[in-house]
Amino acid sequence: MKTTRRALLSATLLALAIPSASFAQDKVLRFATWNTDPASIAINQAIATKFEEANPGVKVQIELYGDGFDDKLTAAMGAGDAPDLMYMWNFPAYKDALLPIDDLVARDAAEMNLDDIPAGLMNISKIDGKTYAMPIGFTTQVVFYNKDMFAAAGVAEPAAGWTWADLRAAAAKFRNAETKTYGFAVDAKPDPFDFEQFFWSNGTKYISDDGKTLEGYMNSPEAAEVLDMFADMIKTEEAVALNIGDDTPGSSLFKAGQIAMFQSAMWSKTGIDESGINYGVAPLPAFGDKPVHSVIGASGLSISKDAKDVELAWSFVKFFSTPEAVEMRTNDLPIRTSVADKLGLAADPITKPFFDMLAVSNRETNAFLKNPNWGQIQANLALAIEATMVDQGNAKAHLDEAVANSARFLN
Amino acid sequence: MSDARRISSRRRPSLAPWLFISPWILGFFFFTLGPMVFSLIMSLHDWPVVGERKFVGLQNYQTMLTQDPMFWKSLGVTVKFAAIFVPLNIALSFLLAVLLNVKVRGTALFRTAFYLPCVISGVALVMIWKWIYSKDYGLLNYALSLLGTEGPNWLGDPNWSILAIIIASLWGLGGTMLILLAGLQSIPKELYEAARVSGVPAWAQTLFITIPMLSPMLLFTFITSLISAFQQLTIALLLTEGGPLKSTYFFAMYIYDNAFKFHDMGYAAAMSWVMFLIILTLSLAVLKYSAAWVHYEGEVKGGGNG
Repeated sequence: MKTTRRALLSATLLALAIPSASFAQDKVLRFATWNTDPASIAINQAIATKFEEANPGVKVQIELYGDGFDDKLTAAMGAGDAPDLMYMWNFPAYKDALLPIDDLVARDAAEMNLDDIPAGLMNISKIDGKTYAMPIGFTTQVVFYNKDMFAAAGVAEPAAGWTWADLRAAAAKFRNAETKTYGFAVDAKPDPFDFEQFFWSNGTKYISDDGKTLEGYMNSPEAAEVLDMFADMIKTEEAVALNIGDDTPGSSLFKAGQIAMFQSAMWSKTGIDESGINYGVAPLPAFGDKPVHSVIGASGLSISKDAKDVELAWSFVKFFSTPEAVEMRTNDLPIRTSVADKLGLAADPITKPFFDMLAVSNRETNAFLKNPNWGQIQANLALAIEATMVDQGNAKAHLDEAVANSARFLN
Repeated sequence: MSDARRISSRRRPSLAPWLFISPWILGFFFFTLGPMVFSLIMSLHDWPVVGERKFVGLQNYQTMLTQDPMFWKSLGVTVKFAAIFVPLNIALSFLLAVLLNVKVRGTALFRTAFYLPCVISGVALVMIWKWIYSKDYGLLNYALSLLGTEGPNWLGDPNWSILAIIIASLWGLGGTMLILLAGLQSIPKELYEAARVSGVPAWAQTLFITIPMLSPMLLFTFITSLISAFQQLTIALLLTEGGPLKSTYFFAMYIYDNAFKFHDMGYAAAMSWVMFLIILTLSLAVLKYSAAWVHYEGEVKGGGNG
């Protein structure tokens, strides 16, 4: 009896030991991203595979946190189980959990050819003189339009220097209740980070530059004008409302030919390319004669300060910024000037508007960099935007409420 | 002498009973009491997920009660939900249990069918409801269109969304129904026979036999429904994400957002304690006043003999 039991025990131990021994051969790098679209996911997977080929015995485990990126990352960090590598944009909120990479960058500067990367992009993660990430890509915002739909409706295509009045006049011509076709799409739950560009373009901003005043900014007449304009586009059916009880994304409607114009950024391009529709790209429209200002969405690749093997993680970050990897990232704009030149992006009519927007978008600072409690303030703002779109107007009252409810986060 | 020693050795406290209940005791200490005490400590701190923790005393509680409109709004949504969901849940479960207690062919089949939604994972259930509720393509509005009425935008209209959540939540009433069904079957048949012989009508049988005999189960389901209503999170989180316009922004969801979106663990812990105290108070109140309507078999009430 005893012998049997011992034999069983050792057999169990053996069974447990064998797989763990084979696991030990592979070093695993955990890499968390917020990607949700298949194209972006495939791109990162391809880069990771290239890295694995160059580094036998290393496995890059991509963890797709998707829309729940912040929740999951926070939970992982709180549990002491942070991924080694992660996409990052909100550096003020997470900097204490990230590894400053200045020493590593200085050490490998020559090998990385840093002159090829614009200084502005290296600065996106710089806080109090410390750098927390290597940039991985950036995008400005544009309007995609369906050339075939414009031709069929006999509407002139958007041109540089166009205004929201032009966009609305064009959009009105595409509405067809029977085929559920619209000219444009207005998102009732836009990412407030992106949405601030409309405030900027209309001459206001979410919060004062010192991060202490909302009154007269978030609820300024210019701000209300922006929200009311979008709400009115829903009311007049110039635009379909997105995210009011239905979460069909605007990109799907654009790819299916249900909307003629779609305001988005580089991350939509690959999917639109694959859909095979004949499209063009226009810069953001202006509010009358006010200067346009796009948001610049730049993100970085950060290393957790608790990463087990910092050198290995850093070698992946370096690989991610090589010209080879940068060129593979077709879903945002390349961080290396040499890659942009090689691909002729600044001249290509599809990508030129992105660079045109970049050239005029250097005056404003994003709200999250100005106030440490921006997350909570933004929740109130998002509610005001959604409320205006559902009400189809009444922006001033909703924005006033958002400002009042955010008072406790200003100190 | 030897007998006496045996007796005394028997009386010595033994380890065995403790070992037998140890899984529960350890689980209670490590997974219930421990985290609760820990969260109480957290609630007295400014506790970000990363970065420095700072003791702030009762400031979190003070902020939520005096400066946070969303606290009251989310509490209001939850109370509204509980006020509609709990009575509906019990009434419908009772009705269903009575129906399923009738002896007809295929009873077992019906019982299984009505319990089936409880077996499906909550997430899958919510995805199905999302399709059902879709404004233009949903099953529900299609059915309504056959009746000649145009259905509302269930998940997009702030006036309808809470109702949509209540209906979806009621889908899981199989558990409550099962408890009541078990209760119904344990009611002695003689009571009904005696009533029938004396010519008591069916409605009176239900009112004076079934409900009193079932009252302990009703009390139990009342309290558990109340608790689950206050803790409602999954369905709202997945079906509406609290929207539209925060009309389904439950208290539990605000706690979740404070913890994992705004990284304010201290505030979230303080809110959890407020929720705990609310549930505790309500449950105690229900228990206290239950003596008036709950009847336990074997319990003799002074005076009355029927």
